[in-house]
Amino acid sequence: MATFPQPGLPALDPAETAILSLLDDQFQRIGATLGAVPVTGPALLPQDDLTKLDYFRNFPHLALAAAGFSVEGVRDLADGKPVDAASADLRPTGNYLPSATCYGLFLTLRGVALTDPQRLTAVGLCFRNESHYEGLRRLRGFRMREVLYVGSQEGATAHLDAAVDLVHSLTAAIGVKITLEAASDPFYLGDGARPLLARLDPVKHEFLISDGTAIGSVNKHRNFFGERLDIRFDGNAAYSSCLAFGLERWAHALVREHGTAEHALAALRAARE
Amino acid sequence: MDELLTWFKEKDPEHNVSIPRDVDLIETRLIDSLNFLEFVILLERVSGKSVDLSSLNVDDFRTLERIETGFLSV
Repeated sequence: MATFPQPGLPALDPAETAILSLLDDQFQRIGATLGAVPVTGPALLPQDDLTKLDYFRNFPHLALAAAGFSVEGVRDLADGKPVDAASADLRPTGNYLPSATCYGLFLTLRGVALTDPQRLTAVGLCFRNESHYEGLRRLRGFRMREVLYVGSQEGATAHLDAAVDLVHSLTAAIGVKITLEAASDPFYLGDGARPLLARLDPVKHEFLISDGTAIGSVNKHRNFFGERLDIRFDGNAAYSSCLAFGLERWAHALVREHGTAEHALAALRAARE
Repeated sequence: MDELLTWFKEKDPEHNVSIPRDVDLIETRLIDSLNFLEFVILLERVSGKSVDLSSLNVDDFRTLERIETGFLSV
Protein backbone atom coordinates (compact mmCIF):
# COMPACT_ATOMS: atom_id res chain seq x y z
CA MET A 1 0.00 0.00 0.00
CA ALA A 2 1.18 3.50 -0.78
CA THR A 3 2.23 5.65 2.16
CA PHE A 4 1.54 9.37 2.16
CA PRO A 5 4.16 11.62 3.79
CA GLN A 6 1.74 14.40 2.79
CA PRO A 7 -1.75 14.19 1.26
CA GLY A 8 -1.45 13.99 -2.50
CA LEU A 9 2.18 12.86 -2.37
CA PRO A 10 2.33 9.07 -2.24
CA ALA A 11 5.36 6.83 -1.89
CA LEU A 12 4.60 3.59 -3.74
CA ASP A 13 5.43 0.09 -2.51
CA PRO A 14 7.22 -2.53 -4.67
CA ALA A 15 4.00 -4.04 -6.11
CA GLU A 16 2.60 -0.60 -7.01
CA THR A 17 5.95 0.40 -8.49
CA ALA A 18 5.92 -2.74 -10.64
CA ILE A 19 2.36 -1.89 -11.74
CA LEU A 20 3.44 1.60 -12.81
CA SER A 21 6.38 0.22 -14.72
CA LEU A 22 4.33 -2.44 -16.56
CA LEU A 23 1.59 0.09 -17.29
CA ASP A 24 4.11 2.47 -18.80
CA ASP A 25 5.45 -0.39 -20.95
CA GLN A 26 1.92 -0.73 -22.34
CA PHE A 27 1.62 3.04 -22.87
CA GLN A 28 4.96 3.11 -24.67
CA ARG A 29 3.74 0.29 -26.86
CA ILE A 30 0.70 2.39 -27.76
CA GLY A 31 3.03 5.33 -28.44
CA ALA A 32 5.14 3.17 -30.77
CA THR A 33 2.01 1.93 -32.58
CA LEU A 34 1.01 5.57 -33.10
CA GLY A 35 4.48 6.18 -34.57
CA ALA A 36 5.79 8.31 -31.69
CA VAL A 37 9.48 8.79 -30.93
CA PRO A 38 10.39 8.65 -27.20
CA VAL A 39 11.84 11.93 -25.89
CA THR A 40 12.34 13.60 -22.51
CA GLY A 41 10.81 16.97 -21.64
CA PRO A 42 12.26 19.67 -19.36
CA ALA A 43 11.75 19.35 -15.59
CA LEU A 44 10.40 22.92 -15.23
CA LEU A 45 8.57 25.26 -17.59
CA PRO A 46 9.46 28.93 -18.11
CA GLN A 47 6.85 31.45 -16.95
CA ASP A 48 7.11 33.47 -20.19
CA ASP A 49 6.31 30.46 -22.32
CA LEU A 50 3.36 29.46 -20.12
CA THR A 51 2.05 33.03 -20.34
CA LYS A 52 2.20 32.82 -24.13
CA LEU A 53 0.15 29.61 -23.93
CA ASP A 54 -2.60 31.25 -21.78
CA TYR A 55 -1.68 28.85 -18.97
CA PHE A 56 -2.21 31.35 -16.17
CA ARG A 57 -5.49 32.49 -17.63
CA ASN A 58 -6.85 28.97 -18.13
CA PHE A 59 -5.36 27.10 -15.16
CA PRO A 60 -4.38 29.65 -12.48
CA HIS A 61 -5.58 27.28 -9.75
CA LEU A 62 -3.15 24.50 -10.77
CA ALA A 63 0.02 26.60 -10.92
CA LEU A 64 2.91 25.71 -8.62
CA ALA A 65 5.95 27.99 -8.77
CA ALA A 66 9.56 26.94 -8.26
CA ALA A 67 11.27 29.35 -5.87
CA GLY A 68 14.73 29.66 -4.29
CA PHE A 69 16.05 31.65 -1.31
CA SER A 70 17.61 35.08 -1.73
CA VAL A 71 21.24 35.64 -0.70
CA GLU A 72 20.02 37.01 2.66
CA GLY A 73 17.66 34.07 3.07
CA VAL A 74 20.45 31.56 2.42
CA ARG A 75 22.68 33.33 4.97
CA ASP A 76 19.91 33.44 7.59
CA LEU A 77 19.04 29.76 7.10
CA ALA A 78 22.70 28.75 7.39
CA ASP A 79 22.81 30.72 10.64
CA GLY A 80 19.92 28.64 11.95
CA LYS A 81 16.92 30.88 11.24
CA PRO A 82 13.74 28.70 11.11
CA VAL A 83 12.65 28.07 7.54
CA ASP A 84 9.13 29.37 8.27
CA ALA A 85 10.62 32.72 9.21
CA ALA A 86 12.75 32.77 6.04
CA SER A 87 9.87 32.12 3.65
CA ALA A 88 9.62 35.87 2.93
CA ASP A 89 13.07 35.50 1.37
CA LEU A 90 11.83 33.08 -1.27
CA ARG A 91 12.38 34.48 -4.75
CA PRO A 92 10.69 33.23 -7.95
CA THR A 93 12.97 31.46 -10.40
CA GLY A 94 10.68 32.29 -13.32
CA ASN A 95 9.85 28.61 -13.66
CA TYR A 96 6.81 26.50 -12.85
CA LEU A 97 6.35 22.81 -12.17
CA PRO A 98 4.69 21.22 -15.21
CA SER A 99 1.02 20.32 -14.86
CA ALA A 100 1.11 18.29 -18.08
CA THR A 101 3.87 16.62 -20.07
CA CYS A 102 3.06 18.01 -23.51
CA TYR A 103 3.91 21.67 -22.76
CA GLY A 104 7.62 20.87 -22.54
CA LEU A 105 7.47 18.89 -25.77
CA PHE A 106 5.82 21.75 -27.62
CA LEU A 107 8.61 24.11 -26.54
CA THR A 108 11.12 21.94 -28.42
CA LEU A 109 9.21 22.63 -31.65
CA ARG A 110 8.95 26.43 -31.30
CA GLY A 111 9.59 28.29 -34.55
CA VAL A 112 9.99 25.07 -36.54
CA ALA A 113 8.56 24.66 -40.03
CA LEU A 114 7.73 20.97 -40.13
CA THR A 115 7.94 19.11 -43.41
CA ASP A 116 6.63 15.90 -41.85
CA PRO A 117 4.21 15.49 -38.92
CA GLN A 118 5.93 15.04 -35.55
CA ARG A 119 4.85 12.30 -33.16
CA LEU A 120 6.53 12.40 -29.76
CA THR A 121 6.00 10.53 -26.52
CA ALA A 122 7.36 11.27 -23.05
CA VAL A 123 6.60 10.49 -19.44
CA GLY A 124 7.13 13.21 -16.87
CA LEU A 125 6.44 14.18 -13.30
CA CYS A 126 3.52 16.59 -13.19
CA PHE A 127 2.21 18.71 -10.34
CA ARG A 128 -1.16 20.22 -9.61
CA ASN A 129 -2.26 22.47 -6.83
CA GLU A 130 -5.65 20.86 -6.13
CA SER A 131 -8.26 21.87 -3.56
CA HIS A 132 -8.18 18.38 -2.02
CA TYR A 133 -6.29 15.12 -2.43
CA GLU A 134 -7.61 11.59 -2.40
CA GLY A 135 -5.70 8.25 -2.47
CA LEU A 136 -4.03 7.72 -5.84
CA ARG A 137 -6.99 9.41 -7.56
CA ARG A 138 -6.12 13.05 -6.93
CA LEU A 139 -2.47 13.92 -6.36
CA ARG A 140 -0.22 16.91 -5.97
CA GLY A 141 2.57 15.10 -7.83
CA PHE A 142 2.14 12.27 -10.32
CA ARG A 143 3.43 10.79 -13.56
CA MET A 144 1.88 11.52 -16.92
CA ARG A 145 2.74 9.91 -20.23
CA GLU A 146 1.61 11.69 -23.35
CA VAL A 147 1.64 10.79 -27.02
CA LEU A 148 1.66 14.02 -29.01
CA TYR A 149 0.95 14.63 -32.67
CA VAL A 150 1.85 17.88 -34.45
CA GLY A 151 1.09 18.32 -38.15
CA SER A 152 -2.05 18.54 -40.27
CA GLN A 153 -5.65 19.05 -39.17
CA GLU A 154 -6.64 15.64 -40.54
CA GLY A 155 -3.62 13.98 -38.96
CA ALA A 156 -4.46 15.41 -35.54
CA THR A 157 -7.96 13.92 -35.76
CA ALA A 158 -6.70 10.55 -37.05
CA HIS A 159 -4.16 10.43 -34.18
CA LEU A 160 -6.93 10.65 -31.59
CA ASP A 161 -9.19 8.18 -33.40
CA ALA A 162 -6.38 5.61 -33.41
CA ALA A 163 -5.48 6.46 -29.80
CA VAL A 164 -9.03 5.81 -28.57
CA ASP A 165 -9.09 2.37 -30.25
CA LEU A 166 -5.72 1.43 -28.73
CA VAL A 167 -6.77 2.50 -25.23
CA HIS A 168 -9.96 0.44 -25.48
CA SER A 169 -7.92 -2.61 -26.56
CA LEU A 170 -5.56 -2.12 -23.61
CA THR A 171 -8.32 -1.75 -21.01
CA ALA A 172 -10.06 -4.84 -22.38
CA ALA A 173 -6.79 -6.80 -22.10
CA ILE A 174 -6.09 -5.77 -18.49
CA GLY A 175 -9.67 -5.92 -17.25
CA VAL A 176 -10.52 -2.25 -16.63
CA LYS A 177 -13.92 -0.97 -17.70
CA ILE A 178 -13.94 2.57 -19.11
CA THR A 179 -16.25 5.02 -20.80
CA LEU A 180 -15.17 7.94 -22.96
CA GLU A 181 -16.88 11.21 -22.07
CA ALA A 182 -16.51 14.93 -22.72
CA ALA A 183 -14.48 16.51 -19.93
CA SER A 184 -16.47 17.99 -17.08
CA ASP A 185 -13.73 19.78 -15.13
CA PRO A 186 -15.65 22.29 -12.99
CA PHE A 187 -13.16 25.11 -13.51
CA TYR A 188 -12.72 24.45 -17.18
CA LEU A 189 -16.46 24.32 -17.73
CA GLY A 190 -17.62 26.84 -15.15
CA ASP A 191 -20.25 29.47 -15.83
CA GLY A 192 -19.55 32.33 -18.16
CA ALA A 193 -18.88 32.93 -21.81
CA ARG A 194 -15.51 31.28 -22.14
CA PRO A 195 -16.60 27.67 -21.51
CA LEU A 196 -19.64 27.89 -23.78
CA LEU A 197 -17.89 26.77 -26.95
CA ALA A 198 -16.02 24.05 -25.03
CA ARG A 199 -19.38 22.71 -23.90
CA LEU A 200 -20.85 22.85 -27.41
CA ASP A 201 -17.80 21.43 -29.14
CA PRO A 202 -15.63 19.61 -26.56
CA VAL A 203 -11.89 19.53 -27.19
CA LYS A 204 -11.16 17.19 -24.29
CA HIS A 205 -12.58 13.71 -23.75
CA GLU A 206 -11.70 11.62 -20.74
CA PHE A 207 -11.49 7.88 -20.13
CA LEU A 208 -13.53 7.38 -16.95
CA ILE A 209 -13.77 4.35 -14.67
CA SER A 210 -16.93 3.57 -12.71
CA ASP A 211 -15.95 5.64 -9.65
CA GLY A 212 -15.65 8.72 -11.88
CA THR A 213 -11.83 8.85 -11.97
CA ALA A 214 -10.46 10.13 -15.29
CA ILE A 215 -7.48 7.84 -15.97
CA GLY A 216 -6.59 9.36 -19.32
CA SER A 217 -7.73 11.77 -21.97
CA VAL A 218 -7.62 12.64 -25.63
CA ASN A 219 -7.25 16.34 -26.41
CA LYS A 220 -7.51 18.29 -29.62
CA HIS A 221 -5.72 21.62 -29.56
CA ARG A 222 -6.77 22.70 -33.03
CA ASN A 223 -3.98 25.07 -34.23
CA PHE A 224 -3.56 26.84 -30.86
CA PHE A 225 -0.02 25.66 -30.04
CA GLY A 226 1.02 25.96 -33.68
CA GLU A 227 -0.07 29.58 -33.74
CA ARG A 228 1.28 30.61 -30.32
CA LEU A 229 4.65 28.90 -30.75
CA ASP A 230 4.99 29.53 -34.50
CA ILE A 231 5.11 25.83 -35.37
CA ARG A 232 4.26 25.59 -39.07
CA PHE A 233 3.15 22.67 -41.15
CA ASP A 234 2.51 22.92 -44.85
CA GLY A 235 2.79 26.71 -44.65
CA ASN A 236 0.14 27.14 -41.93
CA ALA A 237 0.04 27.02 -38.14
CA ALA A 238 0.35 23.32 -37.26
CA TYR A 239 -2.54 21.39 -35.72
CA SER A 240 -1.93 19.17 -32.75
CA SER A 241 -3.57 16.62 -30.49
CA CYS A 242 -2.48 14.38 -27.66
CA LEU A 243 -3.27 11.23 -25.75
CA ALA A 244 -2.51 11.42 -22.02
CA PHE A 245 -2.25 8.74 -19.32
CA GLY A 246 -2.17 9.46 -15.56
CA LEU A 247 -0.05 6.54 -14.35
CA GLU A 248 -1.06 6.52 -10.67
CA ARG A 249 -4.73 6.77 -11.66
CA TRP A 250 -4.35 3.73 -13.90
CA ALA A 251 -2.80 1.89 -10.94
CA HIS A 252 -5.78 2.98 -8.81
CA ALA A 253 -8.17 1.66 -11.49
CA LEU A 254 -6.38 -1.68 -11.78
CA VAL A 255 -6.21 -2.30 -8.03
CA ARG A 256 -9.85 -1.27 -7.65
CA GLU A 257 -10.86 -3.69 -10.40
CA HIS A 258 -8.71 -6.65 -9.27
CA GLY A 259 -8.93 -6.23 -5.50
CA THR A 260 -5.23 -6.19 -4.61
CA ALA A 261 -2.01 -4.85 -6.11
CA GLU A 262 -0.77 -8.45 -6.50
CA HIS A 263 -3.82 -9.47 -8.53
CA ALA A 264 -3.54 -6.28 -10.58
CA LEU A 265 0.10 -7.11 -11.28
CA ALA A 266 -0.86 -10.63 -12.36
CA ALA A 267 -3.44 -9.20 -14.79
CA LEU A 268 -0.82 -6.86 -16.27
CA ARG A 269 1.71 -9.67 -16.63
CA ALA A 270 -0.89 -11.87 -18.33
CA ALA A 271 -1.70 -9.06 -20.77
CA ARG A 272 1.99 -8.69 -21.63
CA GLU A 273 2.33 -12.32 -22.75
CA MET B 1 -22.11 39.42 -44.24
CA ASP B 2 -19.60 42.27 -44.79
CA GLU B 3 -19.81 43.18 -41.13
CA LEU B 4 -19.01 39.62 -40.11
CA LEU B 5 -16.06 39.49 -42.50
CA THR B 6 -14.73 42.73 -41.04
CA TRP B 7 -14.99 41.22 -37.56
CA PHE B 8 -12.99 38.16 -38.65
CA LYS B 9 -10.34 40.37 -40.26
CA GLU B 10 -9.99 42.41 -37.08
CA LYS B 11 -9.56 39.22 -35.06
CA ASP B 12 -6.89 37.89 -37.34
CA PRO B 13 -5.08 40.77 -39.07
CA GLU B 14 -2.16 38.49 -39.91
CA HIS B 15 -4.31 36.53 -42.34
CA ASN B 16 -5.90 39.41 -44.14
CA VAL B 17 -7.12 37.19 -46.91
CA SER B 18 -10.61 36.17 -47.84
CA ILE B 19 -12.06 33.26 -45.87
CA PRO B 20 -13.33 30.44 -48.08
CA ARG B 21 -17.07 29.93 -47.58
CA ASP B 22 -16.65 26.29 -46.59
CA VAL B 23 -13.72 26.66 -44.17
CA ASP B 24 -14.38 25.38 -40.63
CA LEU B 25 -14.31 28.58 -38.56
CA ILE B 26 -14.11 26.70 -35.27
CA GLU B 27 -11.39 24.19 -36.17
CA THR B 28 -9.29 27.02 -37.63
CA ARG B 29 -9.98 29.01 -34.43
CA LEU B 30 -11.29 32.08 -36.29
CA ILE B 31 -14.08 31.58 -33.76
CA ASP B 32 -12.63 30.42 -30.44
CA SER B 33 -13.81 30.07 -26.86
CA LEU B 34 -12.76 33.64 -26.04
CA ASN B 35 -14.63 35.39 -28.82
CA PHE B 36 -17.52 32.98 -29.37
CA LEU B 37 -20.08 34.90 -27.36
CA GLU B 38 -19.00 38.19 -28.91
CA PHE B 39 -19.57 36.60 -32.30
CA VAL B 40 -23.03 35.34 -31.31
CA ILE B 41 -24.00 38.84 -30.14
CA LEU B 42 -22.71 40.37 -33.38
CA LEU B 43 -24.63 37.78 -35.36
CA GLU B 44 -27.83 38.55 -33.47
CA ARG B 45 -27.43 42.24 -34.25
CA VAL B 46 -26.58 41.74 -37.92
CA SER B 47 -29.28 39.14 -38.58
CA GLY B 48 -31.96 40.62 -36.35
CA LYS B 49 -32.62 37.09 -35.10
CA SER B 50 -32.14 36.01 -31.51
CA VAL B 51 -29.88 33.05 -30.81
CA ASP B 52 -31.03 30.68 -28.08
CA LEU B 53 -27.86 29.65 -26.25
CA SER B 54 -29.54 26.68 -24.59
CA SER B 55 -30.49 25.02 -27.87
CA LEU B 56 -27.51 26.15 -29.88
CA ASN B 57 -25.96 23.76 -32.41
CA VAL B 58 -22.31 24.52 -32.97
CA ASP B 59 -22.50 23.23 -36.54
CA ASP B 60 -24.70 26.23 -37.42
CA PHE B 61 -21.60 28.41 -36.94
CA ARG B 62 -19.00 26.22 -38.57
CA THR B 63 -18.77 27.87 -41.98
CA LEU B 64 -19.70 31.17 -43.60
CA GLU B 65 -22.00 29.13 -45.82
CA ARG B 66 -23.92 27.72 -42.83
CA ILE B 67 -24.08 31.12 -41.14
CA GLU B 68 -25.47 32.71 -44.29
CA THR B 69 -28.09 29.99 -44.75
CA GLY B 70 -29.08 29.84 -41.10
CA PHE B 71 -29.02 33.49 -40.11
CA LEU B 72 -28.63 35.88 -43.01
CA SER B 73 -31.02 34.53 -45.62
CA VAL B 74 -34.41 36.14 -45.73
